[in-house]
Amino acid sequence: MTGILTVLAALFLAASQWFIWAYAPVEETMGLVQKIFYLHLPLAWWSFMSFLMVFVASIMVLATGKTVWDRLARAAAELGVLFSGLVLVTGSLWGKPIWNVWWTWDPRLTTTLVMWFVYAAYLLIGQAGIGGGRAFAVRAALGILAFLDVPLVFYSARKWRSIHPTVFGSQGGGLDPDMWVAVLFSLVAVGFLWVVLLRIRFGQMNTNERLRRLFMKMTDQG
Amino acid sequence: MIMGKENYLLAANVAVWLGVCGYLLFLAGRQKRLERRLRQLETLRED
Repeated sequence: MTGILTVLAALFLAASQWFIWAYAPVEETMGLVQKIFYLHLPLAWWSFMSFLMVFVASIMVLATGKTVWDRLARAAAELGVLFSGLVLVTGSLWGKPIWNVWWTWDPRLTTTLVMWFVYAAYLLIGQAGIGGGRAFAVRAALGILAFLDVPLVFYSARKWRSIHPTVFGSQGGGLDPDMWVAVLFSLVAVGFLWVVLLRIRFGQMNTNERLRRLFMKMTDQG
Repeated sequence: MIMGKENYLLAANVAVWLGVCGYLLFLAGRQKRLERRLRQLETLRED
């Protein structure tokens, strides 16, 4: 299954490059640099999806006590931190030529940075072994609490005065229909990549746990 | 240093693909570690 998804991800990513560079028109005001948007938005959306998965899996950890949900949450958090980190980097590289600043304490940017730090802390708790044998429960509690920031990121540009544009607004973000095609294709392509990476990492974490149990069983017998 | 707008676009693309490739390298490293542990386990079983 992962093999098929990997092929699909590669095909969609290749096709999305054609849509970005050859199909979508060049934006009149910003010029070529606006094409950063076709990476920036899908990465943001799939980082939200990662954090939603962390939230749901964390609830399942506390509800069932099964650590498999903790492993799923950690795999999703890794991808969320990677993707939202790339959102911050691409946003900064887009902001400099358009806003003339690398960074500004705008509500959307600030809440995104806070979100990145919170989920990076979530991953560090896993590394540091805080909570001992109940570390998974500590992580689950943080995984649930951390999600409070995600709707704030999403609605920050709508509810507060922000220089960050809203794409999914009532006027469709002012995008040309051809640009929408490129955006949607890019969303699907990054989505396939996200699923592939998540499956691989989750699989690795499960294998690691099985090996750890086997190792303990064998050393106990020996 | 003043960069042309196109250079920012190039830098953003490089950053994204470096990030994705970096994560793939991290996954490859973890896979190697798993294989090493599996070999250890096999050795332990043989002993």
